[in-house]
Amino acid sequence: MLNMELSRDIVAARPMLARDADSMYWMSRYVERAEHAARLLLITSNVLIDVGDLAPSLQARQWQSLLTILRCSELAETNGDIGQRVAQSLTFGETNTNSILNCLIRARENARGIRENISAEMWENLNMLYWSLNGDDAKARFEESPDDLYRSVMTGSMLFQGLTDQTLAHDQRWHFAQLGKSLERIDVTCRVIETKYEILKSFEQQLESTIRNIHWMAVLRSCCSIEAYRRNYLGEMDPVRVAAFLILEKDFPRSVRFSVGEARAAISGIREVAHAGLIDPAERILGRLEAQLDYAEMTEILAEGIPNYVQRIQAAVNDAALAVQQTYFLH
Amino acid sequence: MFDNYQVDGLFDEVFQASGQPRSHYASLVSRLKGLGLPAFERRRRMTDVLFRNQGITFTVYSDARGVEKIFPFDLVPRVVPADEWDSIERGLVQRLTALNLFCQDIYHDQRILKERIIPPELIYGAKMFRREMFGVRVPRGIYIHICGTDLIRDKDGKYYVLEDNGRTPSGVSYVLENRAVMKRVFPALFSAYRVRAIEDYPYNLLQCLKYIAPNHADDPGIAILTPGIYNSAYFEHSFLARQMGVELVEGRDLIVDRGFLYMRTTAGLRRIDVLYRRVDDDFLDPLCFRPDSALGVPGMMNAYRVGNLALANAVGTGVSDDKAIYPFVPDMIKFYLGQEAILPNVPTYICARDIDRKFVLENLDKLVVKSTNESGGYGMLMGHQAPEAERAEFAEKIKEDPRNFIAQPVVQLSQHPSFVEDHFEGRRVDLRPYILYGEKVIVMPGGLTRVALRRGSLVVNSSQGGGSKDTWVLEEDAQPVTPDTTA
Repeated sequence: MLNMELSRDIVAARPMLARDADSMYWMSRYVERAEHAARLLLITSNVLIDVGDLAPSLQARQWQSLLTILRCSELAETNGDIGQRVAQSLTFGETNTNSILNCLIRARENARGIRENISAEMWENLNMLYWSLNGDDAKARFEESPDDLYRSVMTGSMLFQGLTDQTLAHDQRWHFAQLGKSLERIDVTCRVIETKYEILKSFEQQLESTIRNIHWMAVLRSCCSIEAYRRNYLGEMDPVRVAAFLILEKDFPRSVRFSVGEARAAISGIREVAHAGLIDPAERILGRLEAQLDYAEMTEILAEGIPNYVQRIQAAVNDAALAVQQTYFLH
Repeated sequence: MFDNYQVDGLFDEVFQASGQPRSHYASLVSRLKGLGLPAFERRRRMTDVLFRNQGITFTVYSDARGVEKIFPFDLVPRVVPADEWDSIERGLVQRLTALNLFCQDIYHDQRILKERIIPPELIYGAKMFRREMFGVRVPRGIYIHICGTDLIRDKDGKYYVLEDNGRTPSGVSYVLENRAVMKRVFPALFSAYRVRAIEDYPYNLLQCLKYIAPNHADDPGIAILTPGIYNSAYFEHSFLARQMGVELVEGRDLIVDRGFLYMRTTAGLRRIDVLYRRVDDDFLDPLCFRPDSALGVPGMMNAYRVGNLALANAVGTGVSDDKAIYPFVPDMIKFYLGQEAILPNVPTYICARDIDRKFVLENLDKLVVKSTNESGGYGMLMGHQAPEAERAEFAEKIKEDPRNFIAQPVVQLSQHPSFVEDHFEGRRVDLRPYILYGEKVIVMPGGLTRVALRRGSLVVNSSQGGGSKDTWVLEEDAQPVTPDTTA
């Protein structure tokens, strides 16, 4: 008798509003994007302190590359320190759609529209993160220590993801958040590899090996991967190994392969609630990509060329994102 | 702390004319004194940060995007003794019951018009009278499910009803959030009192919405309809959806198909049976009301009229909170219930009546004139404070469209100490309790005490720079015992 009573209380999962799914996905994507921007800025300014004024043209390229990675247009030609200009634009730039501030404004805007779908903890955390960049004292804090501000954005984002994991039911809503986060992470990681690989290749002859190592370490740091890499390869800096690690590492949550697996699991979870038993277009794209990465060999990737290979991944991710939009957001 | 506090010949909620606190405030005052100003100031800053981080804000329309503001919160709670509350509660139940009977009557038999209790032209002239609702049977015969009634106190401390809000009253989320913040910032203050809990409001609201669900639905789909995130009350819409665990939808999420309302989900369409709509009648259905509305759903009125969809509040309740109908509420109570009104109205002159209009025009400098269809402190003349030119302008408006205006004598609202900059000063307050009408009528014990933040101002609306404070209704037999009370 008791069991029958209980079973009546178990209700089927409620599908979510298409608009809410859309906002959930973008909220999560923008938070992830802000984190990447902050980390890239932090690492770039740090590595340039390490290598000093050794190669001014390389320095300028490094700063410019941040704009490429984050899909921002070139800055207008003016005098002044390129580093400061890029940092300003990517941090507070109002016209720069992917500046940290704009990412957080849009993440919060999306969250505000689905406030009843996320937990109080997530909302409060995102709100505090937003005010830390949009409050009265944000600019002054930035002047005093850009590093501290970047670090607070990074921890804010990680806290947000942790809260998402721990305070939200792992239902469709959570899957949409995971999907947004993973797709963003794959995209940025691929672009970091592509861009940095090309720059460092073209400067290879001019750099001493110590300086070259510092640059490759910075690439790993930009993807939050330096410590994991060192444990794997005992600290040996080798461009091919770095790329292999960032693309193909099975168990490391920042690698492309791992994130593709997460994205595929998320879309499967979403589809299971909405259309059980079917396979949807985004799931097919991500499933194939997952299999490809699971069985990839580094020699094949090198034969194709690393930049080419990661470009294909980006294209697939882009197709998957469009398919998600078609299937779930545009009813 | 209160050494320089002025009562100024008004009714002060806390202090008697002698400067002694009233008995139900005595232990609060002594605790505040024990705390000291610097500690109080620290806690005030703490609340600002809390409100900001939790995004408890409302939107002011000053530019295209609107500016998000914190609803100013005043940390000194208002205390209402049990016996005082008892008569307020009875008065509100009586009033809402009569208002509902009135709506039912107006849209069906119109007995109250036939018997000449209310002049028919006032009803037909009301902007919010919806002829589309005539003869429509609404679920359970309830029209106003959620009501917010504004109460004020005059110089003698007597409570009056200033107006009823029977359309989409807002503010209840601030009542609940204010209480939550008070408990976090000032837990010790509560210990001297037994304050009645208000936290079951969302549960009661949900029960009320379930109660009106159409019969076809075992497990009704319930949602709140909001105009969207730029609406000034968006925080509240989202707050209530969260508290009740229901969906928050916008017009663009909805579609009517074959007389049923659906929302678009990731798994296709899902039916909605009950809609707590926070969108005005005018915008609900472009096929029926304003054709330019993008906030509503074409065909919604049809689904409503055939009984496939329940709306809270019903369409057309605006006829009952029209300011020119308001003076007749005591008559309604007598007509429908055979009772005398427990809570009196503020005396009101109806400009549509010749004799009243003449008096109003001659005494503009002593009266408050209000437009009958505006709310939020807009379209109002404070005759005793306004310059001559503004009064003349209003006189013209009244002559042009008398139906649109009423006038009332200036009521000197009661005052309550507020923390201003670094000390306490008296500020005028009102009180908006919230009443739910479902299976039974439930009055939330407390309500929104709104505070006029400027000295001497009588306008408490948030859109006009008002703030709010927590309101404590005390349990019976819970009068605090404090030996140092002299009152």
